[in-house]
Amino acid sequence: MRIACPFCGERENGEFTYLGDASPKRPTFAVDSGESPERVEDAFYDYVYLRDNVAGFMREYWYHGGGCRSWLIAERNTVTHEFRSVTAAPGVGASKPVQAGE
Amino acid sequence: MVDYLWNTQSPLQKALVAGRHGVAGAQAGVTLVEVRDLVLVQVMARRGKAADTAKAAKKLFGVDAPNTPKAVAGKSATLVWSGPDQFTVLAPRTDESSQIDAMSQAFSGAASLSDQSDGRCLIRVSGPRGRDAIAKFSSLDLHDAAFPVGTAANTSVDHTAVNCWREANGADGHPVYSMLVFTSFADSLWHAIVDSSLEYGVDTSRTRAA
Repeated sequence: MRIACPFCGERENGEFTYLGDASPKRPTFAVDSGESPERVEDAFYDYVYLRDNVAGFMREYWYHGGGCRSWLIAERNTVTHEFRSVTAAPGVGASKPVQAGE
Repeated sequence: MVDYLWNTQSPLQKALVAGRHGVAGAQAGVTLVEVRDLVLVQVMARRGKAADTAKAAKKLFGVDAPNTPKAVAGKSATLVWSGPDQFTVLAPRTDESSQIDAMSQAFSGAASLSDQSDGRCLIRVSGPRGRDAIAKFSSLDLHDAAFPVGTAANTSVDHTAVNCWREANGADGHPVYSMLVFTSFADSLWHAIVDSSLEYGVDTSRTRAA
């Protein structure tokens, strides 16, 4: 399996580390918004623990630790290992004034 | 009571035995050189300051800092790409503190600098079979078309992270590759390169950065 890093080009997968699903979004609740604790807890439980077991394309985090040390988001087919796209995760590099994480 | 000596020494002090190794012959297939006496500074642009960093680099070194995997020769230093919005500055060591002071002032507020002068070891591989020796432990495509002079890559070779780039061809017309490796891994990588080169014959030596 070879992964085309958007910065380094195509490399062997041994240079990369897999993190997991890139889809979950951290729930945002305003402090003292009156939200019920059960709902907040449910939302975080879902965010931290619950994952879809996708057969097909999924968005996932990969870390190019053996290369440019950037976090990447790849669309990979979990059945065929085909990569449809590999892009930098938000906040990579200093060009964009965005913090890391979605 | 142990007396500690604080003399700096090369991480290859023991591993590097200068001379010919492996197959004997008129000409060694691989030439392996440790380049010493470097000043090495990692420059990382701060959030939203990539343009300021590029401007400061241009002013200080007279060239555009690489924003793709390339190595560029600038005034008094070589700039090697080391990741998005970061690069490594490599210069022969003259007066280290004033060299680093000049950079601190130039990049003040735009980028964070990290002195790696004694943190990395620079190994240079050349000779007619140098590329063949590297191909044994690296998965990089080093063909002229894929890795021409001036190309750089951060990669893992022999389970070790290296910054690799291609220098101008040697006087013999053969490619020259530089590899920057963490000092603690230099010994191991050196052995890997020597072992890969034995069948071609390898000349090893050390030199001062120029």
